[in-house]
Amino acid sequence: MYGTTAMQQKKIKNLQLIIFCAPALIVYIIFKLYPAGSGFFYALTNWNGLNKTYDIVGFSNFVEILSDRYFWNSILFTMKYVIVFVLVANVVALTLAVAIESRPKARGFFRTIFYMPNMISMVIGGYMWMFIFTKALYYLADNHGFKWLDHSWIGDPNYSFIAIIIVSTWGTAGYLMIIYIAALQGVPDNVKEAAVVDGASPWQCFWRITFPLIRHALTICIFWTLNAGFQVFDVIYTLTGGGPGRATQSVAIHIYEEAFRGNIRYGYATAKSTVLFVIVLIVTAIQLKITSRKEQEW
Amino acid sequence: MVGKNKTIGNIFVYAFLFIAALFTLSPLVLALINSFKTNRELLVNVMSLPDELHFENYQRTFEKMNYLRSFLNTAFLAVLSVALIVLFSALAGWRLCRTKTKLSRFLLKLFIFSMLIPFSSIMIPLYKVTLQLKIKNSLVGLAFVYAGLGVSMAIFLYNGFVKNIPKEIEEAASIDGCSPLQTFFLVVFPMLKPITATICISNALWIWNDFLLPLIVISDNKKYTLLLSTNTLFGQYSSDWTAILSALILAALPVIIFYAFFQKKILKGIVDGSLKG
Repeated sequence: MYGTTAMQQKKIKNLQLIIFCAPALIVYIIFKLYPAGSGFFYALTNWNGLNKTYDIVGFSNFVEILSDRYFWNSILFTMKYVIVFVLVANVVALTLAVAIESRPKARGFFRTIFYMPNMISMVIGGYMWMFIFTKALYYLADNHGFKWLDHSWIGDPNYSFIAIIIVSTWGTAGYLMIIYIAALQGVPDNVKEAAVVDGASPWQCFWRITFPLIRHALTICIFWTLNAGFQVFDVIYTLTGGGPGRATQSVAIHIYEEAFRGNIRYGYATAKSTVLFVIVLIVTAIQLKITSRKEQEW
Repeated sequence: MVGKNKTIGNIFVYAFLFIAALFTLSPLVLALINSFKTNRELLVNVMSLPDELHFENYQRTFEKMNYLRSFLNTAFLAVLSVALIVLFSALAGWRLCRTKTKLSRFLLKLFIFSMLIPFSSIMIPLYKVTLQLKIKNSLVGLAFVYAGLGVSMAIFLYNGFVKNIPKEIEEAASIDGCSPLQTFFLVVFPMLKPITATICISNALWIWNDFLLPLIVISDNKKYTLLLSTNTLFGQYSSDWTAILSALILAALPVIIFYAFFQKKILKGIVDGSLKG
């Protein structure tokens, strides 16, 4: 080590670091950072995806987006979907977790079953549910008197929205449930017992004692469902394909259709991708701010 | 009185759990029983068990969706992608944790910040990159794309894991004359085994079940993954439900078997990756 100054040592360390990070860095830059960055650039062009040349058109794509009714409808649909999905999926998952945790003997069995849909791709799950919505429910309605099931689950936008929520919840609740169960197991028994001795009802006990102690799990699950919700693609692609018409188009479906089907306008479609990114960023920032403040309060 | 209330509560919770379980399994069970029927039988009664097991449905879809080839394509893609993610991220994550310089802090932030970028925001430029690099329709190329998308999370996990293993063993190895690369492969990597298992499983499942990326990158049906073949089959046989359902069961089978074997590890991985991460 004689002869090497601290500066040189640091240089060697940094050089080693770069060499060890190089493989990861290269694929990361090529397939994630560069696409993300160049997306902003293409958004300013009129590139159509086929021509080698394109012109820089400034912000005119963004101006056009302002009056693109179909795009804003897909944003509105996605917002509506995200709100309902985050609520329903988390309420279902937390209910399942609490029910399972209260019956330790049956825990393993039910956990295995409830998690199973998460293993299967939503493409497969979506098509399986398609069978239920277009065949099985009609059968039940016609032959067993379940008339309230007799709806056009896929054809009527109001009911297909419910169908999409049901299938998404079916496919994700098990994952959230596992996180909630782990958090519930972290709540010390003596705290709950003390509350029961003091005369708290199970309902009070849950909301006053348990719930504040599992807030970090709630933050994680809401963060996760928000993210997944904004990107929803597979479920809608398999169930309705965005239809009827464009009634159930999420942003991801809309951008996919814009770029890879029909009129190929990549510049315009990347501008829409950019808008989506900004929206996701804002929503995530707000959510993290709110939940981290709440966590401190409790 | 208290005892009676408790029994009622018990019955109520179990009833709820059983109904929820029935609901959860219904798509799988209905797909399974109807996949063995003839189409005529299926139309008469969706809820009944099949009169006899028509395995020829499976035989037909097995060929129609090129099951074996699609399966092997998917397996190849998942294995190669996971291998790249593990190797690249372990190297980077370890070194990032052990180096305490401005550069290392910057690189770690650089790797992690992009986890917020939604895939649909980058899919069009990414598609163009695959065209430019001439890796469209290449499974090997797609594996590198998955590596690029997957390293962030894996580096984050490796970095966190390395913090908790003592430095002294590595230092002893380097004093004994091991080069950094030797130290990594002989000493460090074996110690990372628990987190490597978690990363392997979660990434394998992600890639196995991913649909949108292969949908835009792979158009050659010889390179189709299981989901792409299933999707194509659904388009071709839109009213032939026995064909579709048997295809869905075949496509779901590998992950169900995987689940049966690795359930504990999978569930533990979720908790490690979320609550502790």
